[in-house]
Amino acid sequence: MNNQALKELLYKMADDQLILGHRNSEWTGMGPLLEEDIAFSSMAQDKIGQSLALYTLLQELGERDPDTVAFTRNANQFHNCQLVELPNQEYDFSLIRHFLFDTAEALRFEMLSESSYEPLAQLARKIRGELRYHTLHANTWIKQLGTATPESIDRLQKSLENALPFALGIFEHSPHEQELISSNIFLGEETLKKRWKEKVESVISQTDLTLPDWILVEPTFGGRIGEHTAHLQPLLDEMSEVFKIDPTAEW
Amino acid sequence: MNSIDPRVNRLPIVEIVKPKAPLDQFGTYEVFVEPKPGKPFQHEGAVHAPNLEMAYILAKETFTRRFTCSSLYVVDTRDVFVSPLTEGDQNVFDLIEESESANGTSDFEIYQLSKRGKQHVFLGSVKASTPQEAIAIAKTKLNTGKMVYNIWAIEANKIRFTTEEEKEYWITLPEKKFRDASNYKGGDKLKQFLEKVKA
Repeated sequence: MNNQALKELLYKMADDQLILGHRNSEWTGMGPLLEEDIAFSSMAQDKIGQSLALYTLLQELGERDPDTVAFTRNANQFHNCQLVELPNQEYDFSLIRHFLFDTAEALRFEMLSESSYEPLAQLARKIRGELRYHTLHANTWIKQLGTATPESIDRLQKSLENALPFALGIFEHSPHEQELISSNIFLGEETLKKRWKEKVESVISQTDLTLPDWILVEPTFGGRIGEHTAHLQPLLDEMSEVFKIDPTAEW
Repeated sequence: MNSIDPRVNRLPIVEIVKPKAPLDQFGTYEVFVEPKPGKPFQHEGAVHAPNLEMAYILAKETFTRRFTCSSLYVVDTRDVFVSPLTEGDQNVFDLIEESESANGTSDFEIYQLSKRGKQHVFLGSVKASTPQEAIAIAKTKLNTGKMVYNIWAIEANKIRFTTEEEKEYWITLPEKKFRDASNYKGGDKLKQFLEKVKA
């Protein structure tokens, strides 16, 4: 088994979960409904927990401890896709991102539950229920607001169109794509993207929203190789602010 | 019936079953939780939502993000039919009169309040044609003679249940101790700190 390929996969997954978990947690106390505030915050917390599990797998492969990895790297050392670092904007954008990302995430872990790398397969099986709720939550909201009023439909449609190029950036190829596939660690980004498109199409078709022709959507790549928007570094600064006051403190 | 508990005032009483009136804001949905497999479902509270499915996803985190849960269900508050509420040594079953049967039957879930100020807990299921009849049947079939202050009857086909496959939502819940304030042992840490300062 090739450790470089495996580490690259784990890093990008963990960084996605950490950054989106942090972004979504920015809604805590400001959600559109009390109940939704709690639900969105809980799922953000789940994402941070999932990133911790993945950083722990990386530590077992010889990387630094999870806190160091999470709080001491700079933006150009992060492998998350750019979709997850974008500012929250209005709730319509946060919901569309939640839907597009979590659909991919749930399918990725579903594929990984059969991975030849057993610790990752175990984790995927363990968190299946959490992810199932996350996608139910996302799909229910999209179907609700995607059929509700002209304003809600229009807002979601605009956010969908803004988010799609970044969402396709989730599937940026790894330099180790073939090795991951041939060693049965992961079926690869192309397979994931195909399944993701089918799922996204099936949910959107139950709404008054429309998907553009995929050929016309130019993917935004770069996140996986450390190229980020200007929004990531301020997020990292804020996230690590307390940790950096006293990195050795016990909490 | 007037009560200082707003939930009670919101609920229709059995004698005045009316068609649902349109709401000018989100309605409420009642949330019932099974804390462990085999334990009875109990009423936990209400969520605001535009419809039953939205109520389900919002109830899940609002009421089961801590401790343990094995199943959850939600129902429109207007689909919960309540008996009169009694006090002192008045058992509500003694006030329930026989009810005439209408056409067709469906399943009803019966809940009882056995202590004022506590939650309604699942008592059993009955088949009946109306909520009134369900409560009357509960009186003959489920009444153990123990004190009961209030009965709810909920038609099962109005309920958004958790499916068998969905029960995995809560598998990792017992591990999320960070959601429980007592897990941080703040008191112990403060005590240690104060002793250190003293020494």
